[in-house]
Amino acid sequence: MIQLRAVQKIFGRRPAVEDLTLSVPRGEIFGLLGHNGAGKSTAIGMMLGQVWPTRGEVRVCGFEITTQRRRALQKVGAIFEAPIFYDYLSAQRNLEILSHYTAPTSKQRIAEVIDWVGLSGREQEKVRTYSHGMRARLALAQALLPQPELLILDEPSDGLDPEGIHEMRGTILRLHRELGLTILLSSHLLNEVEQLCTRIAVMNQGRKVFEGTVSDATRRRGWVRLRAGDFHQAAQLLKRALLITDDRDGKLIALADGVGTDRVTRHLVEQGMAVFEIAVEEETLEGFYLSLMKRGKAGPPPG
Amino acid sequence: MFFHQLHNELWKLFGKKRTYIGFGTFLLAQNAMLIAFRFTNWKQGAERMLAGNGYLVQDYISALTVAVIMLIPQILLLMPLYASLVGGDLVAKEAEDGTLRMILARPVSRLRLLTVKWLAGAVFSMTLVVSLGGMALLFARLWFPWAGLFVFTPGPVQIFSVMPAEEGLRLFALSHLLMAVNACTMLSLAFMFSCFNMKPAAATVLALSFLLLNVVMENIPFFEDYQHFFLTYHFRCWLLVFSKPMPWPQIVQAFCVLAAVNVTTFIIGAVGFHVRDIKS
Repeated sequence: MIQLRAVQKIFGRRPAVEDLTLSVPRGEIFGLLGHNGAGKSTAIGMMLGQVWPTRGEVRVCGFEITTQRRRALQKVGAIFEAPIFYDYLSAQRNLEILSHYTAPTSKQRIAEVIDWVGLSGREQEKVRTYSHGMRARLALAQALLPQPELLILDEPSDGLDPEGIHEMRGTILRLHRELGLTILLSSHLLNEVEQLCTRIAVMNQGRKVFEGTVSDATRRRGWVRLRAGDFHQAAQLLKRALLITDDRDGKLIALADGVGTDRVTRHLVEQGMAVFEIAVEEETLEGFYLSLMKRGKAGPPPG
Repeated sequence: MFFHQLHNELWKLFGKKRTYIGFGTFLLAQNAMLIAFRFTNWKQGAERMLAGNGYLVQDYISALTVAVIMLIPQILLLMPLYASLVGGDLVAKEAEDGTLRMILARPVSRLRLLTVKWLAGAVFSMTLVVSLGGMALLFARLWFPWAGLFVFTPGPVQIFSVMPAEEGLRLFALSHLLMAVNACTMLSLAFMFSCFNMKPAAATVLALSFLLLNVVMENIPFFEDYQHFFLTYHFRCWLLVFSKPMPWPQIVQAFCVLAAVNVTTFIIGAVGFHVRDIKS
């Protein structure tokens, strides 16, 4: 649904996105991660034809965005971090205004969408009377109006309370399940991304530093926690026996391919080393993300 | 689709309270001027001028005459201000608020968006001018009788004309067409600046500064032979319709120059808007 090939964007002299190649397959919930200024919003801007790439190719729904923007965005809905509307107009009027930039939309379709997001009965009220949560729902409604196949969500949970975040998460899953939408989700909430996304890309300083499945991200750095009589001596023994590839923090070891904790334990016991505890250390997406950020732009994907 | 989009732009424009600031100010200014005209020696001055030229005062101190007298300073001072205020808002305010990003996430071309916005602005300009003239005539009629039109302008466009009420009304209506072009031109100037990456107030201030620069330069003796290069020279064309005989070539020339300024500013704005990156 989205393909970026060697995309670069330079603002003045400052590169915002560098050599970004990304592919979002149909039917996935794809997470785009990165800290503020990492280039996520610029990348999303380029996907929507709002920011012109300096170099490279951006294709959305099979069409090149710079030359065939109208066709590319025909079946795309988008939500941005702050749900902003014409406050002085009603929700219904806002939806009518926005829908007419895509295609003529019937009142029935607008009513359906309002109902879907749970704003029925409030649509004639001015948006200035809406809470942040209601605005977020209205933002979702405007994104759903053109019956999209692709939904681009840029920080959709920004500013929501925990209940609102939970509700938004449920809505995204519902959109994916019931309407079969492909969703690109940019978020700071790693927990949210971990729960929702099947694939992720991590950006740092304008570059993509990781792309893969969430399970790849958490499995790649499968560390094992080891509590032995002398950790450093144990690590040396295991390295010499080619049972581990790395160790860190005086308590974690990285097993070599095909090696299980049973072999490690057996080897240490045979060498007369006391083993008090050995357990697979579950890596969270947060841990993975932070380790990527520490490596900076030089770091290739760990593994 | 185009008319739906234009209709929506008009909803957005006329749904905002600040759009009506100009209308409200005109209302107050006109009533203040009417009171001043009636109760100060302003009226006596006009009467003396008529009598001195052999005309009967009661035939020409009329609603039409007072309406034109009220329009002259308002068209010069207030109309550019309010046209620029709305023109500066058209794109820059949406960019500042963030709604522009939401619109441009949709498959609408930037040129189409600007076209409907400019047209909505042009409708506003015409409405503003027609309301201004209508209100001036209405309020003047409450205080003055319906009689012939007397126009006297001592400035760069020197006019001394008297005419029957029917002809005066016809020319009064015609002058509004030219005033609407003036308003559109000021709106287009502010609109052009608004298409670039700047605050709405900056776009308005730049447009007004450009107007002020024209006024100042036009009044410098060195530029006396180059007056037709200045926007303000052509802005006065609406007064020329009251001249006898009417200088059609000069009016058509001014109309063409102002139309060209509108087209040029729109093209510059559209190019600037097209190449610009829209970011939050």
